[in-house]
Parts: sequence; structure tokens; C-alpha cells
Amino acid sequence: MGATTGKLTGGQPTIARLFHWVNIISLFGTIASGLQIYNANPVFGGREGIHIPWLITLGGWLAGGRNWHFALMWVYGLNLLGYGIYVFWTKRWRDRFVSDKDIKALQASSNPKRRQYAWHRIVYTSIIPILILAIATGLSMYQPVQFYWLASLFGDWQSLRTIHFMTVPLVLLYTLIHSTLALGIGDGKIATAFLKLKSRDI
Amino acid sequence: MSDKEILADSSRISRRQLFQWAGAGLLVNVAGTMLYEPIGRISMPINEAFEALLLSSQPTPEFPITAIEPDRLIVNSFRGIPSIDLANFQLTISGEVDRPLALKMPDIQQLPFTSMVIRQVCVEGWAAIVQWGGIRLRDLLTLAQPRSGAKYVYFKSADGYYESWDLASVVHPQTLLAYQMNGKDLPAENGAPLRLAAPIKLGYKQSKWVTEVIVTSQLLPKRGYWEDLGYEWFGGL
Repeated sequence: MGATTGKLTGGQPTIARLFHWVNIISLFGTIASGLQIYNANPVFGGREGIHIPWLITLGGWLAGGRNWHFALMWVYGLNLLGYGIYVFWTKRWRDRFVSDKDIKALQASSNPKRRQYAWHRIVYTSIIPILILAIATGLSMYQPVQFYWLASLFGDWQSLRTIHFMTVPLVLLYTLIHSTLALGIGDGKIATAFLKLKSRDI
Repeated sequence: MSDKEILADSSRISRRQLFQWAGAGLLVNVAGTMLYEPIGRISMPINEAFEALLLSSQPTPEFPITAIEPDRLIVNSFRGIPSIDLANFQLTISGEVDRPLALKMPDIQQLPFTSMVIRQVCVEGWAAIVQWGGIRLRDLLTLAQPRSGAKYVYFKSADGYYESWDLASVVHPQTLLAYQMNGKDLPAENGAPLRLAAPIKLGYKQSKWVTEVIVTSQLLPKRGYWEDLGYEWFGGL
């Protein structure tokens, strides 16, 4: 434990912070522009369905929303790919994600900080499949013919659209839990490492 | 501070912070509307090249006829249904071709008939599985004999709608001029007597009420009704 937290106080490598912030900005940009596209024909209820308030959309109208969405998808997707290569190259995947040690800690440890840390590792590991799901369903809708084999995994068009849309509330829920946990653990050491905050700012 | 105090402290948001966030949101929103055109000028050529690269000249997988979704197909048009006098209707093929053609519907129905069950995907996000029947554009172009410099095809419609396509997509084996839909004669609201139908392009590329096919060697400043308003030109699926 001591060794792990010791690394964190030293801060995350700049490249990890870069992946993190490019991901946040491009992801929230694709969400806002995606909600703009959503309004052209809401997933739930079609044209009669409830529309998203304009303030949290991006692009002004359908063509503007699509321009942003299909520009930021490259930034988002390539950043995630870069991160994937980085975690494998540096072997970070071995100790940065949830492992059986965390499960054991949740079963046996009486240290509340260790338990919270284990929960947080479960939480932030879970974002990886959500981010990949957003890309897989998005690519299936963007190129449903050329990637028909991928699109067919998600059922019919309505379920494909629904799954793609559901990544939005999942990301928002994740952001809420992750930021709360990150700011709360070890006097904010993880958040300090990523956000470069001074501990009194937290 | 204990963990609980830290959590409570970090989750407290003041009214001032709330206003700051709303102000930042408004700024991003306005900037997003102002900047979508320059963003598109960067991203659209990349996306179009990506889509053109993915485009296969092989037929795409089709759906069984039982999968058709007539209720899901929404009728979109920009000026309503044009009145077309079928007795005098003719389809012309002109431009960069060696043999310009003018065909009446009985001539067109003599050409080999192709039927397909494909998914119609709209730029708005909805889709419907539809059966289309008609003639392949590649058969029509074989008759008209495009010249060697031919690269694009323009489609003009009776209602004033206009579109342009890349030649590779036009000669795709599932790009049809359709006169049949879901097993029946094509209804007027869906583009009778002739409309474009293809699995490889978004719905706005698939003109209804087509009257003119013009082969060109280059793209003109006007590329399509919706494209000229801001949609992507290639529109590949």
C-alpha cells in the first residue's frame, strides 16, 4: 500500500494526464454534439419525443452537431487507442486496473481507505468497456453497411441507437462517482496527481 | 479531516459556482454554433476519404423480405410532391457520355429488374428496412457509355431537388433507380415514378422524382440541396 500511494503523491506522468484531459474534452464534446443529433429524431419517441435543452447541445442544428460529432470522434477514438497502446507498452495495465487484490481487500480489509481505494479501482476500470462500447456502437451507426458485422452485434437499429445513447448516462454517472472518489481518497492524492490541484483547493 | 468531511466538502457547490458553470456552458454552446463550419472544413474531407476507402464494390448483405418495416419509413421532402405527367415523363441521361439517352417508363421497365431488401438510414438518426425494385444505374450507364474522364453523376428531380454522387457509388451493384417499393408500385410520396435507392448512402443522397442523370468530369459549386446547406457530400454508409 505504502509503495502505491507513494507513487501517487509524485503525480501521474504528463502523458497520462494528457490522455485523461483529451478524453474528457473530446468525450463531453461528442456527448453535447450527439445530443444535438439526438434532437433531429429523439431515440425515445421519435419526433414527438422529448428534446434535449439547447444549452447542453453543440452545433446549433443537425449539420453543426454532425460536424462536431464526426470531428471529435477521431480525437476521442485515437486518444483512446493511444492510451491503450500506452498502458500495454508501459505495462501499466498490470497494476492500474482492478485486480483480485482489490476483491480480497473488500472481503478482508478493515482499513476504510484500502476499501475505498478498491471500490475506486473497480469504478474506474469500468469506464474502459463503456468508452469502447461508445465507439463500437458509434461506428456501427456511422458505417452500418461497411461494418455490418459489428452493427449486427447490437440487434436492430432501435436497440443500436438506444445502446449508443445509454453510454451518455453511464459516462455521467461514472464521472460523478469517479470525481467524488478521486477527490476523497487519501486526502485527494489521486485528484492531486491528475488535476494538479493543491490539496487546499479540494 | 476524515474521509467523510473531505467528501462533503468537495461536493458542496456554491450558487456563484453554479452561475459560472452555466456561463461557461453558454459560451461553449455559442462557440459551437459559430465554429461548426470551419470544423467541418477540416473533418469532412477526412471523413469522406475514410468512407470512400471503406466503400466496397461488392454487394452488401441484405435482409429477408419478412424484415421490412413500412411503418418506420418517414416521408421527407423539401417542397412536397411534384405533379408529374406520366404520359410525357422521360428520364434523360446526358453530359460526359457517348450516347445520350431519353427513356420513357415502358423502356425503363424493359431493362433488367433488380430487387433488394436493405436498410434505409436517415441523417436524422432513424432507419427503416425497405424492399426496393428497379433498374441498376450501372446498366443505364453501360447503355449511355460514359467517357473516360467521367467521375461524378448529378441527379435532378422534378421538384427542383438536386444531388451529385461519386461514380464508384453510382455503379455499385445495389444502386438502383427504383419504381417499386415493398412489393408494390412506388407511391408518389416516395418518389414515383423513379427514385434513387442504395444501401451505401444516407437518405438525403437518394433523390426522389428523378428526371435527369448528368455525368460530369468534375464537381460543380452546387453539389446537392442539403450539402450546399451544410451536410457532408459523400454521405457514405
